Parts: sequence; structure tokens; C-alpha cells
Amino acid sequence: MRKKTLARSLTGFWWLTLAFLYLPLAVVVLFSFNSANSAAHFAHFSLRWYHQLLGNEQIISAFWNSLVLAIVSSVIALVIGCLIGYGMYRHRHRKLGWLIVLIYLPIVLPDIVFGISEMAFFVQINRATGLLEPGLVTMIIAHVTFQIPFVALIVYSRFVGLDPTLFEAAKDLYASPFQRALHFLLPTLKPALISAFFLSFTLSIDDFVISFFTAGPESATLPIYIWGAIKKGVTPEINAIAALMIGAVALAAVISLLFNRQGRR
Amino acid sequence: MVESSLLSSRRRAVVGETRHLLFSVAPGAVWIFVFLVLPSVYLMAVAFMTNGPYGLPQMPLSLDAFEQLAGFGFLGWSPGNLYTLLRSLWQTLVSTALVVVVAYPIAYYITTCREKWRPIMLLAVVVPSWTNQVIRTFGWMNLLAPGTPLSDLADSLGLIGPHMGLYPSNFAVTLGLVYNFLPFMVLPLYAAFEKLDVAQVQAAQDLYASPVRAFWHAVFPQTLPGLLAGTVLVAIPAFGMYVIPELLGGGKSMMLGNLVANQFAGGSNWPLGAAGAILMLLATFGGLYAMRRIGKRLGGGEEVVI
Repeated sequence: MRKKTLARSLTGFWWLTLAFLYLPLAVVVLFSFNSANSAAHFAHFSLRWYHQLLGNEQIISAFWNSLVLAIVSSVIALVIGCLIGYGMYRHRHRKLGWLIVLIYLPIVLPDIVFGISEMAFFVQINRATGLLEPGLVTMIIAHVTFQIPFVALIVYSRFVGLDPTLFEAAKDLYASPFQRALHFLLPTLKPALISAFFLSFTLSIDDFVISFFTAGPESATLPIYIWGAIKKGVTPEINAIAALMIGAVALAAVISLLFNRQGRR
Repeated sequence: MVESSLLSSRRRAVVGETRHLLFSVAPGAVWIFVFLVLPSVYLMAVAFMTNGPYGLPQMPLSLDAFEQLAGFGFLGWSPGNLYTLLRSLWQTLVSTALVVVVAYPIAYYITTCREKWRPIMLLAVVVPSWTNQVIRTFGWMNLLAPGTPLSDLADSLGLIGPHMGLYPSNFAVTLGLVYNFLPFMVLPLYAAFEKLDVAQVQAAQDLYASPVRAFWHAVFPQTLPGLLAGTVLVAIPAFGMYVIPELLGGGKSMMLGNLVANQFAGGSNWPLGAAGAILMLLATFGGLYAMRRIGKRLGGGEEVVI
């Protein structure tokens, strides 16, 4: 009897927590369809904020900035991080403590310290040399810096999971290091590289604090635009763009679920 | 002759390996060194400089920034910064504790469900954290604003004054922190529960242990590594949080992250901001070190991955 009540209350608690987790997102989506300009009262269904969105050039350019930033930084981080991951594996018997510290540094450093130290550094470089003016380039540099460790660790753990004799076999099969890379390393790494790219992409899209401090006047991303709009006074247009971003996440969740299913089959 | 050629070939191999190490590791190591280590070192140096007329740091070196951080200004001592610091600590403690209280039953519940449902349930817990932090916090602003059902309810219960919203307030910041960090506690705790040795729990029950004692002696020690890992993932970022107090709290709910950021955005006092950043770094590395020590002492050290 007591066991049953415990199980039942646990189930109730689970659904309550789910409601807690999804309520704020649901409210944003719901009020993006509100015909009235109010965050408290829902008048009736309308798409007017979405129409307004399409005419807002700032939002469109913020969208492209976000996309360019995420793709370019992920590609750079993929190349650099992949090399580090391979180096870490191949030379794992050496003392590489300094490298481990270096790789974990971007992960453990608080966002805000990360952001302001890059900003202070870029500002001083810019004053001294005129290079690295705040904008997309500085943002890409900052994003690559926090993406590299994740790519490196994913690639490294993929190598660790492989049978070490495979490397010997590849050495016997293919003469040149280049052929080995092309026919053995890249194909075995493919799943790791794909997930590393998507993780980097998500980290970049998800980031606000570091982007905020390294951005220039022309390079606002979607979160930065939304932040500014909230600070200036909330408009339902934000609900619409936020709802679209939530929709993108929901899509990603469904895709990852499908991949999961396929992987187990 | 043979020996020397063998030696040289071995040396060539060593040189080749070293070159390989350099080529593979150097680009990333140099990148992180130039674009993160150097900037952080510069930031730390800034904390010991004097504030210039345009908010940019100047020579001579001084400890002014630390004195300002402790509350000494040219108008005498004021407790504002100290309150901010204590508030950051308090918010971190309260929100971490609340996250643990919610995450424990959730993580346990997921392990009791059928195996095919578990990945979906974990995904359901994690997915909200995939959305941008600003949007999530904006959602809570909408929920807690004056005139919304939740605010009206709090109003009718006499918790807040009439026509006031639940935000901006310290309560809203705590809520936002719990919301933000819940998944980071559920995942490691779930991993710990999944590995749980049920025989120990049954043994405790067979020996007529009360449910509380059974939990405390048979379950809790086994989930401790997960709890420690979760605490690292929750408490350390919570202490340096910027977005949530900025949006959900007002000026009276500022945390250390806001104090630091304001010196670089509007306030323009880089040395003061840098001094605050040093404090945050000390808290971060001190916290990591403490967790590792606790983890090792309690025997779960190997599993606490930091």
C-alpha cells in the first residue's frame, strides 16, 4: 500500500516537473500568436507578429549573423579540435598534463570572465594595431576557443574506444600517412566528427554572454537582438522570433530521437 | 656501424614523433593560449592597475580596485558590493540545494521506468536547456510579470503587494537559476542511480532498516559521485551567472556576474571589474579543488569527472 502511494506521488512529481520545465517555453509560443500587444491577456489567434518579423531587417540580419557565426566557427573548431584530439591519443603515453589543463580551461572558465577578458584583450589589440575590430571576426575567434575542447574530447574518446591494433593494420595496409588519413582515420572518425560539428554548432547558437561581449555594432546575433529588445521594453515580436527558435530546438530534439532509435536497431 | 645506424634511426623516430605531436597539437594549443590564456592573464593584470579617465586601465599599479570591491569609495565605505557578494553566495547555495531536492526524485523515478522510455524521459528533461538562455529567462519574465495568473495568485495569498509582479525579485532569480540548472543535476544523478547496487538496499531492508535509514546508508553513498559531479556543474556556473539576475532581478538582486559585467559595459571601471573576475576565478578553482578533495575522501573520487 505504502509502496503504491510512493510510486504514485513520484509519477505526479515527474509530471509537475515537466510542466515546470516546459511552461515558460509554452507561454512564449502561445503569446507569439496573441493578437493583442500584451504579455498577460490572450485576445485571439493572429499571425501579425510573424508578419512583422519578416519585415524587420534587423532580425533578418541577426539571423544571418547567428548562422554564419555558428557554421564558420564550427568548421574551424572541427579542424583544429580534430588535430588536437588525434595528437592527444597518439601521444597519450607522454606527459601531456599541460595540454589537458589548456583544453579544460575554456570549459571551466566562467562565461562572464571568458567574455570580458576576450573583450578587454581585443580592445587593446585594436587600439594598438587597428586589427581585430569588434565584429563577426572577434566573435568567431571567441567561439572557436570554446568549441575546440569539445571537439578534441569527442574525437579523443572515439579513438580510445577503438582497438589499438587497427592502427597497426592500417599502417601495414597503406603506405603513406596521407592514405592512412584518407582511408582509415577519416572514415572511422566520421560519426564522431558529425556529432562534434553539431555540438559546436549548438554551443555557438546557444551562447549569449561570450557573443555579447565580443560583438561589434553590426554583428548582433539573434540572442543579442532579443536581449536588446527585452531591455528596451518587451514587444510581442520577440515572442514570435523566440517561438521560432524554440521550434528549431524541438525539431532538433525529434531528429536526435529518431537517430537514437535507428542507432539501437 | 650497425649500432650507430640503429641509434640514428631511433633518434629519427623520436624526432618524427615529436614533430607529429607538434603539428597535431600546436594549432589548438596556440589558439587557446593566444586567445584565452593571454587575455585572462591581461585581465588579471588589469585588476592591479588604476582606473583611467575613460574607464581604461592605467599605470601605476595599485590595489585600488580591490579596495573598491570591498566597498571603499571616495564617499567612504558602503556595503553595496559586499551585499552583492553575499547575495551571490546565498543564491548559489539556495538554488543548488533546491535543484538537488527536485533532481533526486526525478533521477530515481526515471530509473524505475521501463528501459525503452528512459532515453525519451532524459531527453524531455534536457531539451528545454537547448533553447537559448535569454529566451528561457524571457519566458519566466512573461510568467511572473504583474497581472499574470501566478502573480495574481501570489497577490491574493498576500505574498506580494497589490499590482506588483513576482519579478523583478530575488525569488525570481532563484527560480530562474533552479530552472536553468535542473538538467545538469538530473543527468549525473541518473547515471549514479542506474549503476545502483540494489542488493545493498534489499540487505538494509532485510535488516529492518527504516526507509530513511535505508536511503541514508544504502542509497545515498552510492549516488554521492553523481551528486558531487552535479554540484560542480550547478554551483560553479550559478555563482558567476549574469543573464538571469540581469533580467529577472532588479538592481536589488544583482549578483557578482552583474557587478563585473557592468564595469565593462556601462560603469566603465575595468580594474574593478577585473578584481571581481579574479574573485570569481578563485571561487571557481577553489570550488573545483574542494569537490575533488571531498570526492577523493569519500572514495568516489575516481568517478567524479571534472
